[in-house]
Amino acid sequence: MQRLKTIVRVLVLLLAGSFLHYVLPQHDIVQISQAEPRRTDFGSFNRWFYAQADSGSTEMENRDIFYIFTEKKETFLLGFIPRDSTETMVYRNEDTGWIWPPYFKFDSSNLHGQATAQARRFTDSADGNWAVITHYGWRIPFLSIFPNAVNITPVENPDVRIIPWFNIFFFVFLIVAIVFIRAAWRQFRERSVDPLLDAAGHQIDEVQADVAERKGRVGRWLGTWRDKNKNRPIK
Amino acid sequence: MAFIKLVIFGFIALTVIYFSIAIYSRSVRKERLEDEFDAEHPEGGAAGARDTFIAEGMQDYNNSIRPKLIGLVYVVPTVVIAAIVYTINAN
Repeated sequence: MQRLKTIVRVLVLLLAGSFLHYVLPQHDIVQISQAEPRRTDFGSFNRWFYAQADSGSTEMENRDIFYIFTEKKETFLLGFIPRDSTETMVYRNEDTGWIWPPYFKFDSSNLHGQATAQARRFTDSADGNWAVITHYGWRIPFLSIFPNAVNITPVENPDVRIIPWFNIFFFVFLIVAIVFIRAAWRQFRERSVDPLLDAAGHQIDEVQADVAERKGRVGRWLGTWRDKNKNRPIK
Repeated sequence: MAFIKLVIFGFIALTVIYFSIAIYSRSVRKERLEDEFDAEHPEGGAAGARDTFIAEGMQDYNNSIRPKLIGLVYVVPTVVIAAIVYTINAN
């Protein structure tokens, strides 16, 4: 039972963690090589991972989406430890509009202009056109899923230190919210639920005792199947 | 349309949060008043004195600025959204 509880807890934590990892902004240090629009026909599954048509436009079966092709500095540990190597990374560039996730991005065309300008910059020098791309989402090639770029900031060199202010504030807020919900729940239990239970008498206690006793009986029966020598102290 | 949806559902969500905080805040204040009275009157005090003490304390609480500050629940997210819209879309 305890083990099952632990497994469920770990699964819930993993799900919540990967959800936050998908949705929260991350920063990549990249050299943009090209930016272009491309018609995209969504599959039934990867449709989930794309946003919708630009906020002023109408929704169709398929549409042109801006893509940004880059050489990205690789990192360890969610971007906290930089590495010397680079990898290819492709971003999509879509409006999120007023819909999920709440980036309220309406300027995908402007960002496309910025990306093409950045790609044209210092094309002949090796270390000239570095930029920080803020994005959310994952790149999963076999599902054709791309992270969505939300911001491009040109930087002088690839060794810039990025402080994720938004994520810091977000997690502080999350902790405050969890602490508040716990406190409110305890207050509610103490002031509203417990008095009700007391007024209802000890009926619940009796039922619980009965259940515990039954559990004890089942547990004892299960115990007869266990290895009797397992818990014997070692001499 | 998406904007109207966001406004409506956002308003509903914030209203739920507003009332949870308001109820929690009142409950904490009431509990503190009860504890205060019980500490001063270990034998229970005069009949009805406890109720009047708590009613007066809650009246003071209602007239103070604290319950009005809970209205910030509506203001802060609106300001944050406006700030995000500006920073994301300004070049």
